Amino acid sequence: MTPPLFIAMRFIGYRKRAILLSLTGVILGVAFYICAQAQTQGFERFFIKGALGTSGAIVIENRFQSLHTDILTRTAPGILTLGHEKPRKFYEGITDPERLMRAVRDFSNVAGCAPVLEGNAALATDFRQEVFRVQGIDLDLHLKTSALREQIVSGSIEDFQVKPAGLILGFGIADKMRTHVGQDVGLIGPDGEHRTFRVCALFQTGNLFIDEKYGYIHLKAAQSLLQRPFGVSHLMVKLRDPARAPALAAHFERLFQHRSRSWQDRERGSLQVFKLIGVSAAITVSTIILLAGFGIFNILTLMVMDKVREIAVLRSMGYRRRDISAIFLWQGFLVALMGSLLGCLLGAVLTYGISQIPVDIKGFLTTKRFLVHWSATDYLAATVIAFVAIFLASYFPARRAARLAPVDILRGSGQ
Amino acid sequence: MSVNAAASISSADVPLQCNDIHRYLGEEESRVHVLRGVSLQLQSGCVHAIVGPSGCGKSSLLYIMGLLDRPDGGRIMLGDEAVEGLTDDQISFRRNEHIGFVFQFHFLMHEFTAQENVMIPMRRLGRLSLREMQERAAMLLEMVGLGDKIRRNSQHLSGGEQQRVAIARSLANDPQVLLADEPTGNLDTANSERVFHLLTDLVRRQRKALLLVTHNSEVAGASDWIHEMKDGELIACTAGRPR
Repeated sequence: MTPPLFIAMRFIGYRKRAILLSLTGVILGVAFYICAQAQTQGFERFFIKGALGTSGAIVIENRFQSLHTDILTRTAPGILTLGHEKPRKFYEGITDPERLMRAVRDFSNVAGCAPVLEGNAALATDFRQEVFRVQGIDLDLHLKTSALREQIVSGSIEDFQVKPAGLILGFGIADKMRTHVGQDVGLIGPDGEHRTFRVCALFQTGNLFIDEKYGYIHLKAAQSLLQRPFGVSHLMVKLRDPARAPALAAHFERLFQHRSRSWQDRERGSLQVFKLIGVSAAITVSTIILLAGFGIFNILTLMVMDKVREIAVLRSMGYRRRDISAIFLWQGFLVALMGSLLGCLLGAVLTYGISQIPVDIKGFLTTKRFLVHWSATDYLAATVIAFVAIFLASYFPARRAARLAPVDILRGSGQ
Repeated sequence: MSVNAAASISSADVPLQCNDIHRYLGEEESRVHVLRGVSLQLQSGCVHAIVGPSGCGKSSLLYIMGLLDRPDGGRIMLGDEAVEGLTDDQISFRRNEHIGFVFQFHFLMHEFTAQENVMIPMRRLGRLSLREMQERAAMLLEMVGLGDKIRRNSQHLSGGEQQRVAIARSLANDPQVLLADEPTGNLDTANSERVFHLLTDLVRRQRKALLLVTHNSEVAGASDWIHEMKDGELIACTAGRPR
């Protein structure tokens, strides 16, 4: 143990009550930071998981054709203008999905790829009729690419698999239309013809927008219903590392001349809201740590004023300026260390407690429990914030203590 | 003794000396010339007392010779080494190793026991193991008559006992020089005599040099050399009558 640490460990008890108060502030600040981040990230992860499980990491959709002007165009007498790209021309859907899927699967990051034919259809039950988004899927490929199997909350995939006129409905729309598994419903396509489908299963992604708007039927049935016998609307691509989706989507777009959108691009608005909430919570909760840091600053400043004689005597005994400074920095370090350790522990307990609170949220997200995300990064971030705040709070009193002139103190010591 | 009076003493017997020291305090109009060319040699095994009226520069000289303050002119020699070229860290190290201070107010740290207070300079020097430091501190406290109170918190000791702990602390790293600023100034007569006797006994037995600032004429008279200061100058150096 270094001499300054030894002295710091005794000095820290000098203003016990004030130190304990600031230590409590650090503990609560760290714990609340961890809790707040666990909650915002819990909901964000849940949303991302739903987005990835439903539409994949990348969606490859409409083909486009880049149009360019001539290389050199005479725009005015005597003036030549260099050619440039004109607005793209889009062609709806993917005309040869098999060929495109073969090419996509060649990429090492691609874990799965499935075609989807999507369009509007009317869903008619005994209760009412409503337009919804119907997706025609190749079930085997879709199960390998999406999280559909895990999202089934009622009925069975196997039942759907053996029924050519089977239907998997979102939990929300099924509830709205008062239909259930095993019931026959009608689907009406653009041709106005009424086709009967059997509800084989219900799915729930947790995203109410999807759960209230979407349903799945077999690809061939969709081609017939939507009057589009060839091609598909889009391909959904599952990636081994979804974080790399933006770069791969851009690459796909250049390579295949089809519009390719990563999940980060598709969900940009929602992700920014989550990010904003996370940052806002972090700033709000960090103020508790900063206030605790201010408390430490006050305590150490008062301690320097109270301990000037001890500082002078330590200097007379050969303690260097940096030793004096270290005595006060060590005190800050000890508070930060204890505060961070206990704060992390309390944060974990609170996070667990919150995750057990039953809630019934239905809206943007649907969940029956508070969602939390356990991340070591949050614990590290809270600890770093605590250490930085307390280091700054200790630095200035420590510097002041180191700068004290021992002779000036000793000269006035008799007074 | 003054430089001239002790020109024949070898440097081995002079652990600390200063030559032509000048020191100014204050700024601009309030600037005061507190030391005006002071020269002094401290001889091993001798007690040097500085006497003089308040404000004559006694403590300023003590702090400069203790390397706690830097002079505006003149030279300080610690053994054979000139101090003026040393960095602040180097000076701190020399102070830790070669100089022990005793102040009028003991300035013990109340968060520590008597033994721990004595160990504080040893911890900085870092030459001894924890066990060796504890043993040495216990030995020094035994020597000053506090062997039975080594684990007592320093604030639970009497004034005289606290000053004796301060003396033990000044000896922690076995320095060649002891500097004492009115070491008996805050004690009653009995304790004052005991502390002075302890210091002088140490100086003679362990061949240390002691420079003490005092207003106490009896203490000054019992020293080996009495240096009289007035207006920042050493005006007389006389031999005392050591007991």
